Amino acid sequence: MTFIQIRNLVKKFGEVIAVDHIDLDVKKGELITLLGPSGCGKTTTLRCIAGLEIPDGGEITIEGKVVTSAEKGIFIPPHKRGIGMVFQNYAVWPHMRVYDNIAYGLKLMKLPKSEIKSRVKEVLELVGLEGLERRYPTQLSGGQQQRVALARALVTQPRVLLLDEPLSNLDAKLRERMRFEIRGLVKKVKITTVYVTHDQAEAMVISDRIVIMNRGKIMQIGKPEEIYMHPANRFVADFIGISNFIPGKIEALLENFTGVFSTDFGEKIICKISPRLKTGDRAFILVRPEDILMYKSNPPSENSFKAKIKHRVYLGNVTYYWVIVDSNELRIQAPPETYHKEGEEVFIYIKPDKCLALPE
Amino acid sequence: MRYWSRGDTLLLITLYVFVILFIIYPIGIVFLESLKVPNTNKLGLDNYVNFFSDPYYFKCFRNSVILGILTIISTTIIGFPLAYILARYRIRGKTIFTALTLLPILLPPYVGAFAFIIFFGKYGTLNLLLEEWGLISEPINFIYGLHGIVLVETIHLLPFIVLNVTAGITQIDPSFEEAAEVVGASGLWRALTVTIPLVVPNYMAGAFLVFIFTMADWLTPLILGQTDFLATIAYINIAYHFTDVQRKYMGIIATVLAASTCIAALLVARKYVEMKSYAALSKGTTYEGRVIPIGGIKKIIAYLYCIFISALVLISPFVITIAAFSRRWILTPFPEYWTFENIRMLFIELPMYIRNTFVFSGIALLMGVVVGLGVAYIVARSNMPGRDLLDSLFTMILAIPGIVVGVGYLIGYGSEIPLLGFSLARSWIVMPLALAVRRLPYFIRSAYASFLQLDKTLEEAAEVSGSSKLRVFFTISLPLIMRGVFAGMVMFFIMAMQEISSTIFLYKPGWETMPIGIFLQWHRGTEFGVPAALAFLMIIITFSLLMIISKLGQRVLGGAFSAA
Repeated sequence: MTFIQIRNLVKKFGEVIAVDHIDLDVKKGELITLLGPSGCGKTTTLRCIAGLEIPDGGEITIEGKVVTSAEKGIFIPPHKRGIGMVFQNYAVWPHMRVYDNIAYGLKLMKLPKSEIKSRVKEVLELVGLEGLERRYPTQLSGGQQQRVALARALVTQPRVLLLDEPLSNLDAKLRERMRFEIRGLVKKVKITTVYVTHDQAEAMVISDRIVIMNRGKIMQIGKPEEIYMHPANRFVADFIGISNFIPGKIEALLENFTGVFSTDFGEKIICKISPRLKTGDRAFILVRPEDILMYKSNPPSENSFKAKIKHRVYLGNVTYYWVIVDSNELRIQAPPETYHKEGEEVFIYIKPDKCLALPE
Repeated sequence: MRYWSRGDTLLLITLYVFVILFIIYPIGIVFLESLKVPNTNKLGLDNYVNFFSDPYYFKCFRNSVILGILTIISTTIIGFPLAYILARYRIRGKTIFTALTLLPILLPPYVGAFAFIIFFGKYGTLNLLLEEWGLISEPINFIYGLHGIVLVETIHLLPFIVLNVTAGITQIDPSFEEAAEVVGASGLWRALTVTIPLVVPNYMAGAFLVFIFTMADWLTPLILGQTDFLATIAYINIAYHFTDVQRKYMGIIATVLAASTCIAALLVARKYVEMKSYAALSKGTTYEGRVIPIGGIKKIIAYLYCIFISALVLISPFVITIAAFSRRWILTPFPEYWTFENIRMLFIELPMYIRNTFVFSGIALLMGVVVGLGVAYIVARSNMPGRDLLDSLFTMILAIPGIVVGVGYLIGYGSEIPLLGFSLARSWIVMPLALAVRRLPYFIRSAYASFLQLDKTLEEAAEVSGSSKLRVFFTISLPLIMRGVFAGMVMFFIMAMQEISSTIFLYKPGWETMPIGIFLQWHRGTEFGVPAALAFLMIIITFSLLMIISKLGQRVLGGAFSAA
């Protein structure tokens, strides 16, 4: 069931189009992530849902109620939308104690004092900050402030939770732990959540579905594995994970979306082929570093090519090789114990079921 | 889509009503009056033609412009090295020297003028001492004439240049100068090619303030016995010769010309004075900038320079204090009869001055805070159409001389308002209103600066928590900017307390404030003791108020008067 519905959303800042006609449906209880490079429009989209930006076009519906419609001239201000939001810099009010920060929204709801007290206590337990009610934000660590912000956003039991890069100001270790914590929390209270990040690993860990954005447009919407395995275009493939691209064209189509791809250097590669492609189309092959194998001799008969090691980097858990095949540079991920000298000639094998031809 | 919250819209409309009623209308009416052809109902440029074809009035106009330019030159020559020393060199007592250089802004210029007469006058302390020591046989004329006015104005307005240029130099990223040094530019050449050009915006804002303050100052020339300046002749013609049609119109033309010249100066300096350009410049002020340790002869010169300026600045509070506690100080370098009589007079016979000053400045402060916070909020936080115009209109007040405001209220609100049966100019409320309007731009700037420093997401977080914009303002924004706002309020109060240019036209018996009291006591030709005691009291009050904000002091002054 669609809980948040965005139709044809447009937001401009002067001449710049930050959000360019996007459509998005978020299901009830779903955790969806808006992912993309800086300036892709993800934060602006989030702020439009919150009502902190006034869109130039389109409509946003929350739980069947239109909160923004440029065409119908409807705009519900943020304080009447029933949302909770966590900001990148936490925005914990420095002049209020932890207790008052969290109770702020409850006081506005004019709840009895005893209920405010019990709900603040409850949410503090939820985020693991019991006993810090009397502290001022300046007496808290970054991670604790983050939890206060989260508690403040959840305490009013909003319909929607919005998180704007909430982990980007934390150190690497804490950031990793908080990913799981946030996901656990959100799922526990079963709240519909929109999460903005530019960190793909964070998006992979935390999301039910990911929305990849670029230049104000949605590139792809899908579960983390779909996005990784079946990127819709080159941008997505490039943005998520590490990718090798080989240009060329479709030579022949076989069954089950497989086919023969001929590279610009005349080599033939058997691969999966996007249904949008037909014989003769210009295309490129996407293959991940872990889907290329290296042999010193006797490679498999098909999809094997002679290559020369250009560069080697040992990372401990894996070793990366950069090899040259017909002036194409490919990156290969190999087990750490493999050893090929720079300049050495090897054979590489591209797994046919793991490489995908996509339209240019 | 266009959407503005109802509260913001209402606020914007209210502010426009305020601007139109209390700024545009009274000023417009003065301009309109200047176009009336005497003894007819027609409009025309006759008055202007008469003004410029009369050699005397033309001379007044020329003198005012010359005075403004000379004062800019002298404050620049004296202020630039001082600012450079204070911003760049690591010297002991920097805080005290900085505080002392800022002191003159806090003392009204007319007080300085009195003190200078006593000290530099023909039979003043300095001349008498020099004669006593046998260095001169005839007294030297230090202050009577254009050079004297330039001297008084220079010392009073020096802080505008020093504050702005110091702030500008401090803000320069040290790497800019280092980059110049690396390619071989050193010393003076580096200062001329890198440092000074980077400081130009700050300097322009300061120079603009110097110009408009001299242009609008009618009282200093008058005290020094000069009348041939625009503002002074405007005051004399309007205050004493209002029934003489010819002189009245010449007076009005003089006020209009003073205002027009200042507005023209504002347009020239506009880029540097606007609130929003101020925003762009104020980033990165948190660090100290480049500070160089110095030694040897340079250090001695720097110290001597600072001490010399401090001494000049301290003359007027020093002289005023002595005069306040003495009588019959004539023809002796220092008084020989000490008494509390002046102070006693003040408290027994003239408590009205003090009461009026506090009541009017207090009410003005209330008005100023409400309007000023509103304007700062709209300019800093909203995207409403008409925001930029509002910004420009309130900035324009900077350029309007006090006499124009006074005359505008007198003409514009002199008669009864239809239906209400009430004349604003005849009600005491016009006094605080004029004070508020005059000092608003400074308060707005410091309030605006506070808003800029406030992280916007703190307000947004409250909005999504379910708080309306009005409630966000009172529960989040205001408590967080309170420090800056409070300091701005103290400055506002101090400046309102000193104001005389507009109120001198508006006061009725019983409404006299302390500055008006000083003026009247002087005018009646009583001994200087009583006005000096009043001035002394003003200095004490000013200092006490400043003590409250002492730690914030410099930042506040910077916020109100500088471009950065």
